[in-house]
Amino acid sequence: MALTKELRAARPPRPGALRRRNTLIGLSFVLPNFIGFAVLTLVPVLALFYLSFTDWNVFGRANWTGTANLERLLNDSSFWTALRNTLYYTGVHVPVTMALSLALALLLNTRLRGVRFFRTAAFFPYVTSIVAVAAVWNMMFSPDSGPINQLLAAAGIADPPGWTTSTDWSMPSVIIVGVWRDLGFYMLLFLAGLQTIPRELYEAATIDGAGAWQRFRHVTLPGLRPTTFFISVICTIGSLKVFDLILVMTQGGPGQSTLVLSQYIYQKGFVQNQFGYASSISVVLFLICVSVTLVQFLVNRRRNA
Amino acid sequence: MSLTDTRVTPDLRTPAAAGPGRRISFWRVLGYIALTVAAIGVLAPFFWMVLSSLKTNNNVFTVPIRWVPDWQFGNYVDIWTKSDMLTWVKNTLILSVVITFLQVLTGSFAAYGFSRLRWPGRDVLFLAYLATIAVPWQAYMIPQFILFSKLNLSNTLWAMVALQAFGAFGVFLMKQFYETVPEELSEAARLDGLSEYGIWRRIMLPLSIPAIASLTLLTFVNVWNDYLGPLIYLRDPDLWTIQIGLKTFIGQYNAQYALIMTGSVLSVLPIAIVFALGQKYFVQGIATTGIKG
Amino acid sequence: MDHSSRSRPTRFAALLAVAALTATGCSSGDSADADGPVTLTVAGWSIATTPEFKLLAESFEKTNPDVTVEIKEYDAANYDTQMTADLSAGSAPDLYPIKCLCTFSTYQGGGQLLDVSDVAEGLDETVKTAVEPYTVDGASYAIPYREDGWYLFYNKDMFEQAKAELPNGQWTWDNFAQAAQQLSTADGADAGTYNHVWPSAVQGFANAQSANGYQDFLAGNFAFMEPFYQRALALQESGAAVDYNTATTNSLTYQSEFGTQKVPMMLMGSWYIGTLIAQQESGDAEKFEWGFAPAPQVDTSTLDAPVTFGGPTGMGINAGIDENKVAAAKEFLTYISGAEGASTLAEIGITPANTSETVAESLFSVEGVPTDELSRSTFTNHVIRPEVPVSENTATINTILTDAHTAIMSGSSDVTGALEKAKQEFGNQIGN
Repeated sequence: MALTKELRAARPPRPGALRRRNTLIGLSFVLPNFIGFAVLTLVPVLALFYLSFTDWNVFGRANWTGTANLERLLNDSSFWTALRNTLYYTGVHVPVTMALSLALALLLNTRLRGVRFFRTAAFFPYVTSIVAVAAVWNMMFSPDSGPINQLLAAAGIADPPGWTTSTDWSMPSVIIVGVWRDLGFYMLLFLAGLQTIPRELYEAATIDGAGAWQRFRHVTLPGLRPTTFFISVICTIGSLKVFDLILVMTQGGPGQSTLVLSQYIYQKGFVQNQFGYASSISVVLFLICVSVTLVQFLVNRRRNA
Repeated sequence: MSLTDTRVTPDLRTPAAAGPGRRISFWRVLGYIALTVAAIGVLAPFFWMVLSSLKTNNNVFTVPIRWVPDWQFGNYVDIWTKSDMLTWVKNTLILSVVITFLQVLTGSFAAYGFSRLRWPGRDVLFLAYLATIAVPWQAYMIPQFILFSKLNLSNTLWAMVALQAFGAFGVFLMKQFYETVPEELSEAARLDGLSEYGIWRRIMLPLSIPAIASLTLLTFVNVWNDYLGPLIYLRDPDLWTIQIGLKTFIGQYNAQYALIMTGSVLSVLPIAIVFALGQKYFVQGIATTGIKG
Repeated sequence: MDHSSRSRPTRFAALLAVAALTATGCSSGDSADADGPVTLTVAGWSIATTPEFKLLAESFEKTNPDVTVEIKEYDAANYDTQMTADLSAGSAPDLYPIKCLCTFSTYQGGGQLLDVSDVAEGLDETVKTAVEPYTVDGASYAIPYREDGWYLFYNKDMFEQAKAELPNGQWTWDNFAQAAQQLSTADGADAGTYNHVWPSAVQGFANAQSANGYQDFLAGNFAFMEPFYQRALALQESGAAVDYNTATTNSLTYQSEFGTQKVPMMLMGSWYIGTLIAQQESGDAEKFEWGFAPAPQVDTSTLDAPVTFGGPTGMGINAGIDENKVAAAKEFLTYISGAEGASTLAEIGITPANTSETVAESLFSVEGVPTDELSRSTFTNHVIRPEVPVSENTATINTILTDAHTAIMSGSSDVTGALEKAKQEFGNQIGN
């Protein structure tokens, strides 16, 4: 606090001192969270990076094997299948979830009657037990007795998809449930973001003769940019790491049609006790996440500029 | 659209609310239809959960789905008398409240340091935060567990607090919201003699209420529903949370689905209440707090 | 852990962290006198619904007043995840069950199990074969206390209504298929039989009943499973068995299918005896007359000593156990695998590894257990072979074959193609 009082004094401090002061204050804000984070999360994560170059199996020593894991990875067709499936899931899940949750947030930000109820309802999928979610959706997708195919049949579609029981349709099915489940979560974040847009901007835009679409395009979207950026990063990383949803819906099947990287990591580690190899798959997943995030950062910065 | 819009509809934040006369009713009707369809789709699994909690075990999963319960209200008695539901609720509540409080407090505090102050190493540290979100937990779960065991943390509620209170999610979320607050506000406050801590406390916090509200709710829900964390760290039955406790209804070859669904229904209710009560804070924006940029 | 703040932080910190983290700690801190009272900790799962652990502990304590047995509860579905974590941190209990044969090699190969050959030597003849999967290079590392073989459960009431002949213990798979076909039209029946969705429901029989099943399994030649899959597919295509996709998408449970009389017969592990009795008592299952018969055989040559598959559940001693507790721990193993411990299990409808006459007496005097001659001889006279052969590659092969199973049974892939793909995957993961 003494430092800031000094800052307030009329004479401008030397640049070096100001820098040091800023650093100290900055650190004082960050440290309470960062210390806990560094000790409890960063250290094990660094250990993981080391382990990815070893043959660690939890019980024994971790012998350094250099790039052996990496070479194995390149020739591991299951890994490539999992990678392809993960990218498929992410590539569809992220844009669809973001678009729909934004639309939902806009809808629920209005003064429709009963909007409070709908807001609560929209959040329910995220809260409902995932076991129940999987059970109900799997029943809906049931090829013979499920309501979805019964509807399709009633609509005259002769050969409705097999959904979770078919290798072609299992991933779309999982994505549908993934979007449905995550909608409420991101809707809430968009809703919070919408509140930060000053109402005056809308009034000004209206006065300038902007229509609904133009207001959305020129006021809402730019105003939401920090939120959108946050959501796109979190949603992308979350999709690349998707795990429990797949596990309860299809367990990666039929065959390997919905096997994703996180699940493959779990299989290699906890089921087959090849933690060294599992660690190197994690590092690859990590690198993918980081590069996608970096791209998002750059795009975001360019838009802001 | 004409000038009259501003007079007729004071709430102009979204396109759906705008438009006079006939257009309003058109959009409204469309909105209601969309919302009703969505609500049915969204609530169906929850409805099924409630139904299942009123069935006997062997009637939970049938072909076709039975949308009629057996009215087995006994499940709602059994879960309190035959299991330790009370302990589980208590532990879950303690963890959710403590972790949410710490996460929101330290997260929003750290976010200020990351968004409003310039200092060397800031971006590197922030990237370290972000990067760890990108590592799947099941990959470093074991190293972390060994570390916690060496710190004598495992098998205590503290383990869960330590595990979840210092996440990157909250920091990132709050940082993004602080960036929407105009820098001029802080400048003015500095000129008025407020310290950085004062600015955080008096300007940033009040202005980011919707963000804090959503962070609070999301953290609360995540802790409330967390399964893998307690599974690894909380072994003593006295420490179990609801999600872990419900798993004791699953044996090696058998599962008591009706009781699991009963417990799941009970565990959703508090969150629904928290949400219903707290939702006015999600839609309370800058404009309504009376401070203008 | 203050390593992270040193110079050249990242690599150095990582190294130190790893050094600290990968070194395995030793087991429990409290040491015990060799002669004084001893407390043994034993792992168990879902205590509320799995009473066997408490029962064994209590009956053991009665005969060994110096020893206290504490049960540490684990999650049934995530037992191995939790146990792996505990063992790696040195916080695992003194004794722990090997829940699945497929993970035995992980624990044994990882040096986490104590050699208990001396206990194995004193085992009853009926337990000797069940200990084989736990034997590596002549030394045994776990002692089986229960063994669940797969039987054919059948609903006598439904058979009689359909005027079908009851199983006589002489069935081949062809007889089984014919019966299923005939019964599928029975009153109120969804199908003639229910084949649960687990891979083992097909592959377990294939492994146990094929001439070179185990060798082929470990060599990655999975073609031997083809007839078993063809049969399973034929059954569901003709409507004689409940469709796999219907079962998975509707999360069907076998307890409901058989217990609420939707199918007149079903192949299932012997643990279902205890479950069915309990569910008939609680009202979860309907009341009807039932029995169990040996699993169908490939041909008539094995009908005298029918072969089925199953899993022993063995108990092992944590290699990190306090030396002074070893004697008591071995005593516990001897007890639970002996006639006394086995009878304790049998009295609650569990099938112990020990199937001697006295144990059979206990099992069949339980209220609700079918007492007909066939059920009894099914328990005492059959060959249980392990579900999978034990090897360091078992877990990996299991994963590969699970993918094949879901692909075949869902109809996404033909049998030959899926098993061929599994073979390729075997080459990819394990090498030739």
